[in-house]
Amino acid sequence: MEAEGINTNRVGHEAAYEAHNAHTTDIPPNEVFPTLLSTLGEHRELTFFHYHLVDLPVILYDKEYGFDIYPNIEKMKEAGKYTLSTTHKIVKAQKPEETPTLDLSITSLVCFQWLAMIILLVAFFRAGRKYRKHPLKPPKGLQNLLETIFVFIRDDVVLPNIPSRKAAYKLLPYFVSLFVFILLMNLFGLIPGGHTATGALGTTAGLALTALFVINGTAIRQIGLKNWLKHLLGGAPWYLFFIMVPIEIISLFTKPFALTVRLFANMTAGHVILLSLVGLIFYLKSIVMAAVAVPFSIFMYALELLVAFLQAFIFTILTAVFTGLAIGEHGEHSSHHIH
Amino acid sequence: MEQDLAKLGAYLGSGIGAGISVIGAGLGIGKLASSALESSARQPEASGDIRTTMIIAAALIEGVALFSCVIAMLLALK
Repeated sequence: MEAEGINTNRVGHEAAYEAHNAHTTDIPPNEVFPTLLSTLGEHRELTFFHYHLVDLPVILYDKEYGFDIYPNIEKMKEAGKYTLSTTHKIVKAQKPEETPTLDLSITSLVCFQWLAMIILLVAFFRAGRKYRKHPLKPPKGLQNLLETIFVFIRDDVVLPNIPSRKAAYKLLPYFVSLFVFILLMNLFGLIPGGHTATGALGTTAGLALTALFVINGTAIRQIGLKNWLKHLLGGAPWYLFFIMVPIEIISLFTKPFALTVRLFANMTAGHVILLSLVGLIFYLKSIVMAAVAVPFSIFMYALELLVAFLQAFIFTILTAVFTGLAIGEHGEHSSHHIH
Repeated sequence: MEQDLAKLGAYLGSGIGAGISVIGAGLGIGKLASSALESSARQPEASGDIRTTMIIAAALIEGVALFSCVIAMLLALK
């Protein structure tokens, strides 16, 4: 009886897998790559390889229909307001060319972001408690790892770049959490079955938005609102304001924008290269290609590991450099800008 | 026909644009790396600082190249 139960269970899994395959093959062939790109790692269910783990809720907002929450995508189709297009986008059932105004669904990327947050909270609180309990004991294990990261960010990223020592120590927790958060999200993408949350524009844009507030908030606190507004003139005489102020305001926003695109593009590029290399085997339908594709993918994987660390470091150090520039320009010539 | 021509133009533009921007980024990062190597060979005690500065500058150059790649991708996915 039990064996039968297991058997039907497995048959159910295989049927689901085949249904999933059949589902993906009805995308028109010239749209396979764009579809794969636009949904890279973003799924509405948590799966481990082809084993289905849990459905994720679909939350939609539309000006016409208002808020709608469905437990999974099938329930959304049954309810009849929205449906899926051939390219797997959520569209309105009546008007297939219109998408809902806002898609606030909990996707797999959001889940992995939450996972990173939980891991960091647990790790840092555990290490912090150890310091409070035994302040004079040498650190070991996890505590040692976190201390290494902390000291690295403090001595190599924050202190050399932010001129005011007081502001640097105040911002240190922000930079440390920025670094470890991005690093952890990047590394999740390298685990089989994991997804890179930083490979989505929304995540990196959110991180860059915090950077925008930190850069300008620190500058305003350190040099005062009046000097900050004065720096919008870019050091030019006041009668040039109609040229300088728009340029300086644009340059305020290009820095976070560059941060957004850099992290997103770097994380996506690696995945696209791996996808193309492995895809060659299926495209040419020969097992000989595997001899070429697998070593290359392993090499790319190692490169991805380097890029995961490097991009987390670059995001952090560029935020620190921009913050330092926003503070340090006060009173000095500001002829060199980094964009 | 017109649709095909527009598609041809978009793919051609994205391919050529990505290629040209990669030439620029390659030249920039190559020049940067060669100067960084020369200067750290001349002054090995400053190599740590030089490396950090080099990585920042490389990231900025790479950022410009990635902008163009994103534009090319937008063209190709249009």
